[in-house]
Amino acid sequence: MDATTQPAAGRPPDAPGAGTAAPHEHDVSNPAERLRRAQHALLSRRRLSIRLRLVASLLLCFGLCCAFAVAAKNLLGRARGKLNLLQTIERLDDRILRVRAFEDEGILSGSDIEKVLEGSRDAEDLFRKETSALQAADREDLPALLGHLGTYRRLLTAVTAQGRERGGFAVLTPTQAAKLRHAETEANKLLEAMIRRERVSLSAIFQLAGTGPLVLVGVLLLLFAAITYCFAKALVNPIRRFEGYTSRIAVGDFSLIGPARTYRDEFSDLAVAVNQMLAALQEQQNRLVKGARLAVVGTMTSGIAHELNNPLNNISITAETLMEESTTLTDEDRWRLLQDIYFETERASEIVKSLLDFTRQEKREMVPLELGEIILSTLRLSQNEMNINNVTVAYDVPPDLPRIQGAANQLRQVFLNLFLNAIQAMPSGGVLGVSAGVRDHGGVCVEVRDEGAGIPAETLPRIFDPFFTTKEPGKGTGLGLSVSSSIIKKLGGDIQVTSELGKGTTVHVCLPRAEEQ
Amino acid sequence: MPDHTNVMVLDDEPIVGDRLRPALAKGGFDVEVFTDSAAAIERLKQKSFGVLVTDMKMRGPSGMDVLRFVREHAPNTQVIVITGYATIETSHEANALGAYQFVAKPFKMRELVKLVEKASKLTVS
Ligand SMILES: Nc1ncnc2c1ncn2[C@@H]1O[C@H](COP(=O)(O)OP(=O)(O)OP(=O)(O)O)[C@@H](O)[C@H]1O
Ligand SMILES: [Mg+2]
Repeated sequence: MDATTQPAAGRPPDAPGAGTAAPHEHDVSNPAERLRRAQHALLSRRRLSIRLRLVASLLLCFGLCCAFAVAAKNLLGRARGKLNLLQTIERLDDRILRVRAFEDEGILSGSDIEKVLEGSRDAEDLFRKETSALQAADREDLPALLGHLGTYRRLLTAVTAQGRERGGFAVLTPTQAAKLRHAETEANKLLEAMIRRERVSLSAIFQLAGTGPLVLVGVLLLLFAAITYCFAKALVNPIRRFEGYTSRIAVGDFSLIGPARTYRDEFSDLAVAVNQMLAALQEQQNRLVKGARLAVVGTMTSGIAHELNNPLNNISITAETLMEESTTLTDEDRWRLLQDIYFETERASEIVKSLLDFTRQEKREMVPLELGEIILSTLRLSQNEMNINNVTVAYDVPPDLPRIQGAANQLRQVFLNLFLNAIQAMPSGGVLGVSAGVRDHGGVCVEVRDEGAGIPAETLPRIFDPFFTTKEPGKGTGLGLSVSSSIIKKLGGDIQVTSELGKGTTVHVCLPRAEEQ
Repeated sequence: MPDHTNVMVLDDEPIVGDRLRPALAKGGFDVEVFTDSAAAIERLKQKSFGVLVTDMKMRGPSGMDVLRFVREHAPNTQVIVITGYATIETSHEANALGAYQFVAKPFKMRELVKLVEKASKLTVS
């Protein structure tokens, strides 16, 4: 089974450094300044809070419902008015028809005439009382109708007066009857037309009342859909984005969040808080890196002391021999002893130099470097561990390897971590393979192989996590690989681990080439 | 009975053997020098030594392993342990295993020769 893992996940495209409109161009390397600029970029946008948008859309819906309620009430009032009107007109019509029924008998008795007259007066009263309502419905027919009714009443009054004179009986002359009939018919026609018209407009109102709610439901549906869409966009998209941020933070990418939209809302406040947290995390991480370096130095101290005491001892006893035997030694012997002292001194100073290189405070300068030199000096530092564990080195780094861009001490720390991991993976000895070459993409890659037990597929994704260790307490901090990967990433490189259970593990470190002048 | 003048020097630093051989020979000892601990153990199986001077940290069997072997197979051999880096634990362990002396590097050759002489006398009595 062969598996690969790598520490860095892809970062969301809109995430870091989107806000380029920074007020000051200076001092970008200062983390506090970087934080200040990121926060400024986030906060300088126009605010359009989600709460505001929520309230606005709810008010819009509310307003729409209110408008509908008012319209419905209005419609109802109109319908009621029309119904009343219709009733009035029908009553009028009814009176007229009743009068006509009496007339049809030809001769009206005194009491009949009184009744007809009363009916006609009644109709006229009603008519005057409801003028305003009728006027609203029919402006043109009204005077004509009023004229007909007036004629009608006058005729009847005249007939009644004649009847009384004649002793109780009122008889209509044929002309009178014709006039009366004409007025009646005209009034009746007008009223019937009015009734028809009112019926039509009333049914139109009812139709409107029937379709209005359906229209409202439709409009509300559209409105809700639009609001839902807008809010889903305003909520889901930022949440997705933040998911991306958390996953890249989880793998140790602490670059600050920049603005991704043109306005700011509650999520921008969250971004500001997350940036604050990132800055704190970064600071903590930097402290950890420094601490991890000290820890590695600590575990190396015994090895270094041993390494250093051996050449010192050789020098000391050789010098002693020279002093004690100065008279008996041949020139050749003396030369050999002096040579021993010379080379052992060299050896001791090499050890001191690599130790100094390792602990010296970083200037963080990116310079072109010979990878081979760095690897060799680091191998020398781990020589003691290798001796103890019976590990031998298979070194295959071509001397003409192109130079890479990096910081020597940081790279030494990375390789020391990798070598120690490999050595510790082979407690009963084996071969530590170190090879390097130029890869297709132009970078220089180093492979550190061991013949250890390998890493199970389920732990492989976790080995870059800070504090993940399978070693006994006190033996491993679990910071080695996490620190190494953050260093390699800072140098613009890439680190990957492949492992085969029972066969061994290979770490691939790739670094960008230095620009050669 | 081991010949008390037989001394073995075991250290993977060749210079240590080179310097100790003539110095001890001058004191009247028969000296055999080894830089490989496995070969030294083989030799210890064949020949008895009065004194063994061994380094602690070596590739292959360590000084502690050699000491353990000697305690089991050649209990009369006195063992002087030299080491580049002495911790309390290792010196305790060496003492518990019956090492004659624990010497830290860098040592004075004259003192080491004296120690070997004392240890070899212990073997005789
Ligand atoms: N070459 C390897 N072979 C097998 N397992 C390895 C190898 N390199 C790393 N690991 C696994 O990955 C874990 C994490 O390694 P890392 O270097 O981060 O921490 P560590 O070695 O445990 O602690 P420290 O580096 O502080 O000594 C190790 O505990 C080990 O389980
Ligand atoms: Mg490690």
